[in-house]
Amino acid sequence: MTDSASQTSGVDAALRALLADVLGLGTDRAAALSDDSGLFGALPEFDSMAVATVLTEMEDRLGILIDDDEIEGEIFETYGNLLAFVTRKVTG
Amino acid sequence: MSAPEHQFRIAPVGTPRATILFVPPLFDEANRIRRTLVCAMRALAADGFATLIPDLPGQNESLVPLEQVDLAAWQGALADVAAAIDGPLIIAALRGGALIDHHAKATAWWRLAPVGGAALLRTLLRARVAADRESGVTSSLDSLQADAATAPLLLAGNRLSPAMIAQLGSAEIRPVEPLRTVTVGGGGADAIVGTPLWLRAEPGEDAAMVNAIAADIAAWSATCGIG
Repeated sequence: MTDSASQTSGVDAALRALLADVLGLGTDRAAALSDDSGLFGALPEFDSMAVATVLTEMEDRLGILIDDDEIEGEIFETYGNLLAFVTRKVTG
Repeated sequence: MSAPEHQFRIAPVGTPRATILFVPPLFDEANRIRRTLVCAMRALAADGFATLIPDLPGQNESLVPLEQVDLAAWQGALADVAAAIDGPLIIAALRGGALIDHHAKATAWWRLAPVGGAALLRTLLRARVAADRESGVTSSLDSLQADAATAPLLLAGNRLSPAMIAQLGSAEIRPVEPLRTVTVGGGGADAIVGTPLWLRAEPGEDAAMVNAIAADIAAWSATCGIG
């Protein structure tokens, strides 16, 4: 695995663990999330408080700072969108 | 603010080994872990400890409006609760509860996953921005904080005063002695079994974590020579 690929899989694992913690998904459901899996609007647990909790926990666990101006609603539409956003923050 | 507040207390018959004064997480996070906390209180009471969770002014059954209090008021109220307790006392604070536990006098302190006030405030503000966006209103962390400088602000169901918001934004975990700080999950000497239930969108419970909290506090009590 290349450095960037292992970094991406680390972000992927951290993001799945975080969503499991916030949404109470359990390890199996968190592992089954695919790029197309819907989040905000699709999972009833994913409310505005959960959005806020996910943002702050991502900062804490991945050591990034998220400027709230860069948050578009689409980021939370699917798991793939959220992973792409976080990966960009971590590697960028 | 002189009216007495309620306390939720679970204690053994007779003289307890010590009293465990729990300080739950602040705001929403308290609701998500309340059941696990109460189960841990029962386990500790069965082991000979008196346990209690006080309502601080503005919380739960308190007649004081939340918007009239701030962190300083809670620090003082908690110190008053502690001062009224006879015998050895351990203050067990969770998350943001650790921001208000250091003015009280105690035999020892125990903290679970303490968190700075700025992170808590940021999450509350973000929830408001996300909720505003759903209802077609444009707000930002900056605009909300500007509003909060002069008037109470409704954040995730809590109407918080300008003083509360200002104090939260700068509140940091203060040193106390003797102190044991534990985290949840992930192994390691200072980690207990469990999951960060305070993050959970829907309240959950964790039986293994109940036992881990009770056992860790009892062991810390022994370490401190309390019994």
